[in-house]
Amino acid sequence: MGLKNYLIYCFSFIGFMAWSQTERNGQVLEAVTDMPIPGVNVIIKGTNNGVVTDFDGNYSIMATSQDTLVFSYVGFQSKEIVVGNKVTMNVSLEENTEALSEVVVVGYGSQKREDITGAVGVIDAEETFKERPNNDLGSLIQGQAAGVQVLKSSGKPSAGFNIRVRGTSSISAGSDPLYVIDGVPTTDTRSLNPSDIESISILKDASSAAIYGAQGANGVVLITTKQGKSEKAQFQFDSYVGVAQVWKTLEVLNAEQYRDLMTELGYNTQWNQYNENTDWQNKVFRDALSHNYQLSVSGKNNGTQYYISGGYLNQEGAVRSAEMERFSFKTNLSKEVNDWLKIGTNVNYTHYSDVDVTDNAAVNQGGVLLGVLATPPNIGVYNEDGTFTSNPFQDWENPISSTDGADRGYKNQRLLGNIYTEVDFLKNFTFKTNFGIDFNADRYDYFLDPFRTSYGRALNGSSQYNTNINNYFIWDNTLSYKNKFGDHKIEGLVGSVYQKNRWEYSNIERRNFASAEITTPGAGSEIVGASAGKSEKANASFISRINYDYKNRYLLTANFRADGSSNFGPNNRWGYFPSFSVGWRISRESFLENIDELSELKLRAGYGIVGNDNVGSYAYLARVGSGGNYPIGGQTMPGTYPATIANEDLKWEESEQTNLGIDLGLYDGKITFSVDAYIKKNYDLLLNVPMPTGTGFSSAIQNVGEIENRGLEFQLNTINYSNENFTWRTSANLSFNRNEAKDIVGQVITRGPVASRGNVSLIREGEPLGTFYGYEWGGVDPATGNVYYINQEGESTFTPTADDRKIIGDPNPDFIYSLGNTFTYKEFGLDIFLQGSQGNDIFNATKLQMESMIDSKNQLASVLNRWRQPGDITDIPRVNTEGSTDNSRLSNRYVEDGSYLRFKAVTFSYNFKQNALDKLHLNALKFYVTGENLITLTDYSGFDPQVNAFGGDNAVQGVDFGTYPQTRNVIFGMNVRF
Amino acid sequence: MLDFKKNDIMKNLKKYIVYSMLIGSLASCDDELDLKPISEETAASAYATGPQIQAALTGVYESFQSSDYYIWDRVIYQDVRSDNYYAGGDNPEIFQFDRVEVTPTNSRVYGMWGNVYNAISKANVVLENAPLVEERITEEEREHIMGQAYFLRAYHYFTLVKNFGGVPLYLEFINSPDPSVTRLPRASQDEVYAQILADLEEAVIRLPDDYGDDASENKARATKGAANALLAKVYAQMPTPDYAEVVAHADAVINSSAGYSLLSNYAELFSGNNYNNSESILEIQFLGGDEGNWAPQMHLPPSISEDSWRKFVTPSVDLVDAFDAEGDQIRKNATILFENVTWIDEYWGNSPNSSVPFAYKWKNASAWASADNEYLLRLADIMLLKAEALNELGQTAQAEQIVNTIRDRAELDPLTQEQTSSQSAMRDAILKERRLELAQEAKRWDDLIRYDRAIEVMNNVDDVDLSTGQSVNYNVTEKDLLLPIPQDEIDRNPNLEQNPGY
Repeated sequence: MGLKNYLIYCFSFIGFMAWSQTERNGQVLEAVTDMPIPGVNVIIKGTNNGVVTDFDGNYSIMATSQDTLVFSYVGFQSKEIVVGNKVTMNVSLEENTEALSEVVVVGYGSQKREDITGAVGVIDAEETFKERPNNDLGSLIQGQAAGVQVLKSSGKPSAGFNIRVRGTSSISAGSDPLYVIDGVPTTDTRSLNPSDIESISILKDASSAAIYGAQGANGVVLITTKQGKSEKAQFQFDSYVGVAQVWKTLEVLNAEQYRDLMTELGYNTQWNQYNENTDWQNKVFRDALSHNYQLSVSGKNNGTQYYISGGYLNQEGAVRSAEMERFSFKTNLSKEVNDWLKIGTNVNYTHYSDVDVTDNAAVNQGGVLLGVLATPPNIGVYNEDGTFTSNPFQDWENPISSTDGADRGYKNQRLLGNIYTEVDFLKNFTFKTNFGIDFNADRYDYFLDPFRTSYGRALNGSSQYNTNINNYFIWDNTLSYKNKFGDHKIEGLVGSVYQKNRWEYSNIERRNFASAEITTPGAGSEIVGASAGKSEKANASFISRINYDYKNRYLLTANFRADGSSNFGPNNRWGYFPSFSVGWRISRESFLENIDELSELKLRAGYGIVGNDNVGSYAYLARVGSGGNYPIGGQTMPGTYPATIANEDLKWEESEQTNLGIDLGLYDGKITFSVDAYIKKNYDLLLNVPMPTGTGFSSAIQNVGEIENRGLEFQLNTINYSNENFTWRTSANLSFNRNEAKDIVGQVITRGPVASRGNVSLIREGEPLGTFYGYEWGGVDPATGNVYYINQEGESTFTPTADDRKIIGDPNPDFIYSLGNTFTYKEFGLDIFLQGSQGNDIFNATKLQMESMIDSKNQLASVLNRWRQPGDITDIPRVNTEGSTDNSRLSNRYVEDGSYLRFKAVTFSYNFKQNALDKLHLNALKFYVTGENLITLTDYSGFDPQVNAFGGDNAVQGVDFGTYPQTRNVIFGMNVRF
Repeated sequence: MLDFKKNDIMKNLKKYIVYSMLIGSLASCDDELDLKPISEETAASAYATGPQIQAALTGVYESFQSSDYYIWDRVIYQDVRSDNYYAGGDNPEIFQFDRVEVTPTNSRVYGMWGNVYNAISKANVVLENAPLVEERITEEEREHIMGQAYFLRAYHYFTLVKNFGGVPLYLEFINSPDPSVTRLPRASQDEVYAQILADLEEAVIRLPDDYGDDASENKARATKGAANALLAKVYAQMPTPDYAEVVAHADAVINSSAGYSLLSNYAELFSGNNYNNSESILEIQFLGGDEGNWAPQMHLPPSISEDSWRKFVTPSVDLVDAFDAEGDQIRKNATILFENVTWIDEYWGNSPNSSVPFAYKWKNASAWASADNEYLLRLADIMLLKAEALNELGQTAQAEQIVNTIRDRAELDPLTQEQTSSQSAMRDAILKERRLELAQEAKRWDDLIRYDRAIEVMNNVDDVDLSTGQSVNYNVTEKDLLLPIPQDEIDRNPNLEQNPGY
């Protein structure tokens, strides 16, 4: 080695004299850890000549003394060195804290952060998800991006979640954004393994979502899974063990107080046979264990990039019998075959299963949460003969019969994947063809034995088997062009996309079993239901986009899309969606270039139209359904019925969006700040317009109406302190959104039936969706113990009419916010993430049912304050012996402030340093403990402020009716890399 | 040399790959987007042939099974609302009927409105499309299909006008959401009755006396006998009844060649294996299994139903006393069954293990899928109606004869001298006879309205709620004789006016 170097020095000295190229070499290391960095580009500035560092970070390049070497690598700050008479140049590269050079995945490609003109929220999944429980993508996204509200309507492991990007925009059509996983659009993220995700981009405004025009009206969530990065194969093993529990219980009457209440209601029974004092919350809620294992290997060498992973997660629910289990397997593989051909494939196979728990239902229908509260403590769990006990006065069985009584389970096997080819030709063109599928096979099994439950005895046992198959494929072809003419940079894209969905379902139910030995339907002697059906949907699109960049200062993006959907008829099948956005990087102007503190100042403005067709297959046709069968002549004859009214002119719902944004960067990116203001108007709303039911139909789908969302988003990221031993980073976001139903053709629609007392949510022009509608509660009359209400004239009355109802609350928050702080001190790390919502109301229908005292349900302890005799002054009315609901109407008494601030995730970690790791032959080892939902600050009196009995319903939000609460989780885990 | 060739091939290969992909990308053409439903029909092709229009007619009959009102709720509207039964069970909306305090937001009333109008809409589809069918249909079949559709439409409008008074008349199938077409105002009560009569006249002309020898078809479908029976009922129930017509149409049923006759044994009517019998004119058909009747399970005691929750539609003290006062064992035993139960009933004993009566006319629970049919029209009802009309026409003696035939079948003595002494005494006797003959068959409230005695009878009921020690106080007023138009419907159709008092 030494002789060679000497000779090289001699020759290069001579070469220097003659101004010719000589070999230069050196090693590139990472600044903080001193680890060699393979794959670093070493380029002679102003040319295309360059080399790449090898596995040990070494490079060797021919260069003259006049040359400048540029060292660059993704995620690091580039360095430039004038060669001069140096032969060996060792370089230390610092990690790039400037988020601006970060590469962001946008539709059909990627852009540098600094070049983006639209509104894009980026979540670095690798960073953010690493130390959080791995079961639920919704929890992990919550609070991470401004303008993105995650609606987790229930805490059960099998619950999905809904996302609202910049508010709810639709009433009858879907409001969830489009999820795209590695280029394959899908709607179900439940079975996706968060550990496999590299990054998430949320395209919030029209110009960024426009490339997904159809279905992009509600925003697009682009999920990119991991690819190999390092030359040497890198293994990663993550594992955790955790515990989850319900973090709040409610106080209900004990056995003696229940007996008093029943006596007052006039119910009598042999009380001495009911002498238990069961704490149902204790029996049904439990400490739920979870464990998760994930092993992956990834790498990149010789043009082959690979990422292979397998994972297993088991998550119990905090409510007895609820659970979820997932096996996942993933392979991402790509190969640069030669310098113009690249092929790749991403394959994801998941086997997901869960056991659901009945919630959002009264105890009469087997609702477990309400059952836990409403079942009297005086009964035990089992009778002597092994059957379940029930309420002494009604046959409402205890909640254990709902959790344990039926064998049930849902399974989903899913294959999500794509295969693609990229061809580079004619220097600037790339042609990419991509074929993706999402194949889902769902099964649901249910068996109720003929003995232990009352319903089971009545049916003599029942078994159900339901299947659902969803076959989806997408084929897109794109041609892109990239070129640079002096100061002008142009990128263009045209393409075509075709997608098709096919759903097939079947269900069978049989009853009349002799025993519980066989649980599949075949063993039941009586067929009670057998049916199967299919439906389809297809979309075709032509897409085009131009990106133009002048001097990296003036940026323009324009999109145009044409989309056709099989949901609409030939009259209006195609919709056309243009959009554009511009950006001005003011910081690159000469008049600002000298301000050192200012590293980035960019103005963005965008306008566009995107579409929504999510209303159900064949929506424009007048369909006639079958199944209206009737026995005539002793034989069941087939019958039909008109199912829908035709609308030949049905067309795309359009969302017109205007966005203005400012990106600010200070002190070399130590402070980055973004503000976005937007107006989103959804018009030609696809609405199931209610019709008088006298017509025989209850609604007809039409394009009428307009909903508007307007808002403001703020995102701030700062590096407060950073040195060798200690760093402190903060990120915060704040979002305001105002939603208004601007025009629904004068209709006033109520939705959301609660507790057999009518609908609680109102859709009316001039109001946001989901407003609560009911009576105004006056008080309890000391003379009679009845509740009086305030009518529209402002007078008290015991018998208000339907017209006396008014708006009593709004579940939409005034704003949502989050605040994250990350501290590292040597090997220790502390991460505190707060998330909150302010100004949202909740309709506490659980409390309504649990304080109404109209029947033999157990009630909350608050009814101890009930009115008992004339002269009592209290806010709880008298017991209701005649079962009337007059004293428990839907009123503002049950509307509560649901604002909350949560310590959403607190993580404490220990990261082993290099010298310890070397001994163990590991690259990284970290132990951590994370608490999720540790503390929730809220005034809400129910189980949890983040609930909705109506899931992701556009028009009904914030209703708590025996809804499964969010849980508090603690996990202990480790990450190993080797 | 070799290198050069290799490059050439590579270059061309590239070209071929690109071209073929570009062509492939044009695969998305419009035809692919023209998808037709697989598991549903479209209106354009659903009524082209005879069997299809028959299926549409079957769909109208199906409303008798799928509408909560016809399968169960009508017992609540007629028998629970009146003095025959208490609500039982645990449903606040049914308690409203029991106390005759139904509010416009009662969801059962809204459901009934929608279901009945849905059946009318299906009948309209048949009436519009049957004349146009060309394939696989005979003229006779067409007439029969039209006749049944007219009958069913009249039947449903009769249900609506009895409960609500005047209602909007939707006589054409609605296929547009245009408010000028969908938001019809209420017609007057007289207009609705006129339409019902017109429809039934059309039905009578077209319908046969029977469809062959199969009783399970003859009692499932509307026949001339059913049309005449309904005409008799309509003429009696109208605000200004035409008793001569009542008699005429009742006779048309009694003398029909379909051969309607009273069963000799009353209990056989309800035994559960004797449906579609000779006394029956029209029944709601059930086969069990997935064509099963869930309503009996709501009534039957634990020993039969194999479950142990508190049942609905509990016979009232007043009704049981009425049976006992008459000494009517046969009909009482067919209608009511007493059993000791673990729950507390505040009218019967108010303590556990009391003996509590159950609505017993439907005797088989069969795990929520009973094969018990339900009578919509039967001969005894029409005979008593004829007696009632004859009495109103002054022919008391002939009325007496008919009533005694009915009583004889129940092994009761003929009416006493006192009961037949005057027209008004006879009226009372017939009302009482109807009560005992037709309990649980959804007739009582209509009878009380027709006799103009609803307010008086209800307010005089003296049953005692043992848990409070107070007698039930129904407080029925004029407004309670009609149900409120559902508030949800008024919200959707502002042209509807609410009934007075609500």
